[in-house]
Amino acid sequence: MAVILDLAVQGAQMLLVLLLAPLLTGLSRKVKARILSRRGPPLLQPYRDLIRLMRKDAVLAENASWLFRVIPYIVFAATWVAAALVPTFATGLIFSWSADMIAIIAFLATARFFLALAGLDVGTSFGGIGSSREVMIASLAEPAMLMTVFTLALIVGSTQLSTIAATMASGETGLRVSLGLALAALIMVAIAENARIPVDNPATHLELTMVHEAMVLEYSARHLALIELAASVKLLLYISLIACVFVPWGLAPAGAGLFAYALGASLYVIKLAFGGILLAIFETSIAKMRVFRVPQFLGAALMLGLLATLLRFVSGGL
Amino acid sequence: MALCASRSICSALQYGGGALVLTIGSATAVIGILYATLQSDVKKLLAYSTVENIGFVFAGLGLALAFKASGMPNAAALAATAALFHVFNHATFKSLLFFSAGAVLNATGERSIEKLGGLIHGMPRTAFAALVGCVAISALPPLNGFVSEWLTFQAILLSPELPQWGLKFTVPAAGALLALSAALAAACFVRAFGITFLGRPRSPIAGRAKETDRLSLAAMFLCVAICLLAGVLPGFVIDGLAPVVRDIVGARMPAQISSPWLSIVPVIESRSSYNGLLVFVFGLLTASLAAYGIHRAASNTIRRAPAWDCGYPDPSPVTQYSADSFAQPIRRVFGTAVFRAREAIEMPPPVDPRPARLTVRVQDLIYDYLYAPVGRGIMLTAERLNALQFLTIRQYLSLVFIALVSLLTVLALWP
Repeated sequence: MAVILDLAVQGAQMLLVLLLAPLLTGLSRKVKARILSRRGPPLLQPYRDLIRLMRKDAVLAENASWLFRVIPYIVFAATWVAAALVPTFATGLIFSWSADMIAIIAFLATARFFLALAGLDVGTSFGGIGSSREVMIASLAEPAMLMTVFTLALIVGSTQLSTIAATMASGETGLRVSLGLALAALIMVAIAENARIPVDNPATHLELTMVHEAMVLEYSARHLALIELAASVKLLLYISLIACVFVPWGLAPAGAGLFAYALGASLYVIKLAFGGILLAIFETSIAKMRVFRVPQFLGAALMLGLLATLLRFVSGGL
Repeated sequence: MALCASRSICSALQYGGGALVLTIGSATAVIGILYATLQSDVKKLLAYSTVENIGFVFAGLGLALAFKASGMPNAAALAATAALFHVFNHATFKSLLFFSAGAVLNATGERSIEKLGGLIHGMPRTAFAALVGCVAISALPPLNGFVSEWLTFQAILLSPELPQWGLKFTVPAAGALLALSAALAAACFVRAFGITFLGRPRSPIAGRAKETDRLSLAAMFLCVAICLLAGVLPGFVIDGLAPVVRDIVGARMPAQISSPWLSIVPVIESRSSYNGLLVFVFGLLTASLAAYGIHRAASNTIRRAPAWDCGYPDPSPVTQYSADSFAQPIRRVFGTAVFRAREAIEMPPPVDPRPARLTVRVQDLIYDYLYAPVGRGIMLTAERLNALQFLTIRQYLSLVFIALVSLLTVLALWP
């Protein structure tokens, strides 16, 4: 009985993640439009887009291989599994013990690996440019992310995200220099990984600087819908990750009652909305940078992460 | 034999040697994978990637040495297990990749990936096997490469307890280098697989390639099965390595196959755990759920059409991204420092019909400044000694006599 209940909570989290992800994307688009004094699309537009894409016939390039058709499902599954491991409204879910934070990064890396292959499959120049730049960005963003994980793991003494969130919520770690550095590195990585300004522009099409959009250029209909949904889930995942580590208040502990879960969920929605609005404000206040400036941006993130880890190695108090 | 060697290495390098092995190992990993990323010859690419993997193994062994010298046998066992697990993994996925490179070579007679492309259409099974190998070597879950990488990172996270100050600075830097090499490995193998098997054929022979024979396929799929099994059930491999680990560092990791749900737990569960089986089944379930849901609810039809490419598709396969152009961002970011990579563009004036040329110069600094001087020294000595080839029999006999006398003198004076 207890196992069924645990599974139900886990399932609820996965559904919540999936249902909220397009809304978060819609919110950040709306806020961006309002800042630019446009009316912007309605909040529910991403859902409508997904439904519309699902209804259409898929058009595949003539030489697209079987891999091209399988990749959207792999990307979606890997991203969704990673999102299921991040505490949203509660810690200590039943699935959270099967993989730790290093594994979450690795799932996202799997999704990216296959997406980059999809960019190369049809054999167009846009796909190639997207894949080539994506792996360059990832080759710096991933170690920066791992360094952040190392810092958190050394502070808490665990790489399980659930344990990290629970310890941070208890407040016994206090304010630390290394935590601040890790937060800065994590935000920089999150911006790069989600193809946001200033690294990439999620709203562009037909632009030589596009990265993510160039990789998925050949996708259409249900395949594109899955990839867009996966991208939304990934954005939500990163905001949840930052929220559960740095603002963990309201997270329900393992086995808490329905009331605690409801409270956690409502606080979670507020945190997400806050994250989405901050992201939109940040994106409108900064210009996109040249592709070859991105390594400097991410190199700074890597150095911040390394510095934070080094501080933890040298002194237990920092 | 290998055991004796590693044992004597362990005792010889007991103090402080760990840091040295760790540094050399992690630096080797990054430089090796950077070389691999710039290669176009598929066999050279795989060989350089081996350099990276050996660097990774050495980093694990270096950690094990440092832990052992500081009297932390359990952490040493974890690091040594990670290193040996990686040796095992490397044996499986690198064999798989060499098999598939051989199959491609047989089918096309071409080792340069710049002339390949689109092989997934002619050789779908080889492509699948090679894809599994590429995912495994890029340390991605749920395959085996990820598990050994994960164990190495877990060992690194135990190292703040090391007392030596030198190690407190070395270990985080080594951790960053290993993370960098893992990320670059993914880039390298996206390029290797994508340029070889995906896209459009870059030469006529690549377009005509046919699937390899059944026996070769069987060998590849055996490796595929091992990669998957070792990734999904890593506890069995860890327990299998335990006797060897105990021999090397005098301790072993806790028994894994008895832990619930076949999770692997390096230290204690509240610290870290990973369950390859659950993760694999879960991923499979979500992917099938998505596929099922979409095929029930959404449109199911497929239409084929020319590639979109933003409205400007070009039928010529040379308009695709090539292996060199794929590696260009990484060459620019890392290569300028590590290989002194320089690009020279030769652009004729506007009315001149000559083509523009792009020349890339990459210098192998380690070869030029480490190996080449040694080679030159040996050649020089050999040339000087060449005179000895033209002596008379008397001179040879006196040489033998002098050698004998000097050897006896050395023996007599030896303390």
